[in-house]
Amino acid sequence: MTETTIEPFAEGFVMALAPEFVLVIGLFTLILVPNMGDAKFRIPLTQIRIPWFLGGKRGTLDRDPRLPGLFASIFLTVSFLMALASFVGGMERVNITTANGTELFRVDEFSRMFEVIFYGALSLASIASIDRLPATSTADRSLSGLYNNRRQVDFYILLMTCGLGMSVVALSQDLFMLFIGLELASFSTYVLVAFMKETPEGTESGMKYFIVGSVASGVGLYGLSLLYLWSGSLQFDGPGGLSEAFRTSGMEPLPLVALGLILVGFGFKVSAAPFHFAAPDAYAGATGPVAGVLATASKAMGILGLLRILLVVASPENTEGSAVWLVALGVLAAVTMTWGNLAALGSTNPKRMLAYSSVAHAGYMLAALTAVGVWSEDTAFADDASMAVVTALIFHLVVLVCFKLGAFLVLSILESEKGGHTLESLGGLAKREPLLAVAMFIFMMSLAGVPPLSGFVSKLLVIMGIVKVAVGGALVNGGTLNFSDLHWVWYLALLMVLNSAISVFYYLRVGLVMFFHEPEEGREGRLPSGKSIRFAVLACVMTTIYFGVGADQLITVCQSAANALLNVW
Amino acid sequence: MSDWISIPLVGLPLISSMVLLAFTANASESARAKMGDSIRWVTLAFSLAMLAVTTAMFFGSLESNMLDWSTMTFGSFNFEYRYTWIESLGIHWSVGLDALSFPMVWLTTFLLPITIIATWNEKNPTTYFPLLLMMGGALIGVFVALDLFMFYVFWELTLIPMFFLILKWGGVDRKYAAQKFFIYTFTASVVMLLGLVTLYFLQPDSALLYSGTWTGRTFDIPTLISHAHLANTEGWFLGESMQKVLFVMLMLGFLVKLPSVPFHTWLPDAHVQAPTGGSMLLAGVMLKMGAYGMFRLPLAMFPHALEYFQLALMLFGMVSLVWGAIVCLGQTNLKKMVAYSSVSHMGVICIGIATMQPLGWAAALFMMFAHGIISPMLFAVCGAFKHHYHSMEIGAMRGMAKHSPWLATSMMFAWMASLGLPLLAGFVAELMMFLALWHFIAAEGWSVLWMVGPALVLALTAAYYLWSMQRTIFEGGDETQPPASLHGEAVPDISDSEKFAMIVMAVFTILFGVMPWIALDMMHGWTVTFFETILAPSIGGA
Repeated sequence: MTETTIEPFAEGFVMALAPEFVLVIGLFTLILVPNMGDAKFRIPLTQIRIPWFLGGKRGTLDRDPRLPGLFASIFLTVSFLMALASFVGGMERVNITTANGTELFRVDEFSRMFEVIFYGALSLASIASIDRLPATSTADRSLSGLYNNRRQVDFYILLMTCGLGMSVVALSQDLFMLFIGLELASFSTYVLVAFMKETPEGTESGMKYFIVGSVASGVGLYGLSLLYLWSGSLQFDGPGGLSEAFRTSGMEPLPLVALGLILVGFGFKVSAAPFHFAAPDAYAGATGPVAGVLATASKAMGILGLLRILLVVASPENTEGSAVWLVALGVLAAVTMTWGNLAALGSTNPKRMLAYSSVAHAGYMLAALTAVGVWSEDTAFADDASMAVVTALIFHLVVLVCFKLGAFLVLSILESEKGGHTLESLGGLAKREPLLAVAMFIFMMSLAGVPPLSGFVSKLLVIMGIVKVAVGGALVNGGTLNFSDLHWVWYLALLMVLNSAISVFYYLRVGLVMFFHEPEEGREGRLPSGKSIRFAVLACVMTTIYFGVGADQLITVCQSAANALLNVW
Repeated sequence: MSDWISIPLVGLPLISSMVLLAFTANASESARAKMGDSIRWVTLAFSLAMLAVTTAMFFGSLESNMLDWSTMTFGSFNFEYRYTWIESLGIHWSVGLDALSFPMVWLTTFLLPITIIATWNEKNPTTYFPLLLMMGGALIGVFVALDLFMFYVFWELTLIPMFFLILKWGGVDRKYAAQKFFIYTFTASVVMLLGLVTLYFLQPDSALLYSGTWTGRTFDIPTLISHAHLANTEGWFLGESMQKVLFVMLMLGFLVKLPSVPFHTWLPDAHVQAPTGGSMLLAGVMLKMGAYGMFRLPLAMFPHALEYFQLALMLFGMVSLVWGAIVCLGQTNLKKMVAYSSVSHMGVICIGIATMQPLGWAAALFMMFAHGIISPMLFAVCGAFKHHYHSMEIGAMRGMAKHSPWLATSMMFAWMASLGLPLLAGFVAELMMFLALWHFIAAEGWSVLWMVGPALVLALTAAYYLWSMQRTIFEGGDETQPPASLHGEAVPDISDSEKFAMIVMAVFTILFGVMPWIALDMMHGWTVTFFETILAPSIGGA
């Protein structure tokens, strides 16, 4: 384990942030290349024309509407692989610190792991969109069709800025940096959600998502500024930072209010009830891949923010007794998972159903987060228990990319024949496309938590983390353990398993419709082909199964990431 | 010892069925029609190979140094094998067979080819037969697992092929039935899962021998049993109330699967809608997973809780027994009647367990086995009836003895076996249960009124079986006409493959009725040592 501290733009800065720089290069490439043509620049007052390349008639290569998608997929995948490769052979931790000692970024297993999640989800979404977007527009030569092709570039640029913003959130060590990254990612997603603005749902979902999202960000920002007002520092950690302020000052109303407001801001991102109202509309109106990104990468970003604020800044060790936010978060978790599942039961639009299921999953993750707050003493067991829970959370976020995004991608293939908005449009999928139907069934079962799929392992890990915390008292103190010795977070685990029992009902219904309903009128035969999106679905299926059967490696990696966050080496 | 379980008994059926399904998934209709026959033969060959392996295991010809089944004690295993699976959580792929699991595994491998033969002409053979095979592999996985994680994985895995079997080949209300089946059992098993996870963390810190794992704990079932045993005998770590809660959580999963009244309502629906093959495996083996799980986990781990809940368990058993039988009397649907008779018979298992006597437990184990041979025959008869007469109503066909003598004979035999005719397998189990119950009542000083239920059920069972037989087979004599549901077609009898399956099942019913010790010896030895090593030290007496 090596740890180095460097200043911005000093030697080694670019190497440390290589995946991000790849994205930046990718952004410039995306802006420049599709505009390259044979334009010439005439030097004024002369007849000399210098080739200028920007504008004019485009060449055969860069006229292809798929080019931006291809570029974005390549750059995002390269970033993904670079982030992944940094886990091979020991991570080099780097702190990016300004000359006056303000820590801006920290590159460690934790931030890299989240980058892997973000870039993984975004590159899958980008790969899936290569066929997806033109499927609605290249065929028609009308003005709007051509216009759509122009917008290809915008779509992928937004995907990449989204990735950039998310990774800034992952790296940040400072409230300001955190907020910059958060907003960069949020603004990109607002536009991405509203991208299908010609459809009524697209406009509606974009508006709703933007208004609710910006209000939530504003509330969150107010919370952040209150924290700054209170402590006079923007730093999470380190001397004079927020963490120290919490440790030394004890309980005061101002930081509590601030924490509450921040919870609202991030609660929207993870779509926790009651801040989830925009989510179903946003998912239903956005294209499949974008909805998938919202449900996986964007949600991971919210959890990441909560982990940073709740565990590092307001960690249970910094306050007396259990964490100050323990009960609030516990209630939020219980309400979120139950509300999400009950609402999903009544949804007939599969995308809304998935949105509510994503609310339910947010509840499971919040339940896990609650469990970390139980332990206040700085003991080996407390560290161990917190680490188990954080590992479970990260594992859950990783595998969520596999099956949640995968489910949205399958719906996205249906979108290309104007389907995917009603459960009936999935009818007879098993006859039309047996492999896609099996893939969707695997995603559904994984969401429900049926072994041996990765969704089961992640749910098991979360339950194990919670139970470990709950039985902790007796484990540490020794003696006989009776039922009343269990901490109340155990009931969150009970609520969680009961909720996953409820959830089977609506997941199973999808399978039922696919395998045993006849196709709708006019939907017989194979779906429009799309090699890249099918490839993305296949990748999701393989990883869904692999991380279920062979979870060991991923658990170890997630564990090292949890270690990096909690500093319990 | 080499690993005779993982590859031939679990891996082979699971992997080959998935390969077959993937292979046929993208084939065109016509290609699939051509493949049907070869798929039938391939699955039959695989299942026969599995039967050969388990039979060789029984005769001890696979390994020279294996333990003798009939003298096996609690806690010892044959063909034990262990691979690391998820190291960081202490999860292993750990398999083994003891006197509890071996009869169930043999039963599964026995029923698999029988089911395939009995339903040889089922439609959509390219998916049906691989699903049966997958079902078999998953069921065996449950019985051989010696690791809680693996146990749970297979426990849930059995749901998926059964869900599809009911959905694709089931009756009119199959959607409702399949969903109900899945949701009911899944709900119970997630509660069980939380119990298992809590149990996992309740290993004392001082026993964290597994330092290679992240949590320092293990899912290994024998180790967990020994920890629980220490808690019971030396007052170590696991408190009484904790044990009771865990007992209830685990038992909930198993009682729903068994199923016991009031958790039984999924069963009649699932059975009535399921295709014959699905019903045969469901009744034959899948229900026994519940009883098996009880013996494997809660009974061995929480004897104090068992003692505490003895009355409740006895009540569950009695109510299932009586209620099942009463409902049977009122049924007009043949298959529903048989399904409720299963509920009634599973009540016997529950009572056997509640007696907390070695004899009662052996009775329960033998009931699991005997019912596993008889009930598939009942459902095979029902399936043949439905197939040939296009109706499930008891009154739809009269005078079957004249029109379809083979089916009538099979039905008579199966019905007699199920109502407990001496010299057939079911009789042995019921007799043992009666003796155990008498012994228990006498020893514990319970009221003799507890015998009223079982005695009543003896009469009721005879009544509903004989009555339905009379209405179906004999009534009307020679003058009867084929039922209207046949629309004037010629009255068929069962096919040769069905005849073969019936004969084999009948032969084994007689075999285990006349020579029950073949299976009973090992069950008895196992339960006696169970009592000596686990129950007697913790709760005293036996």
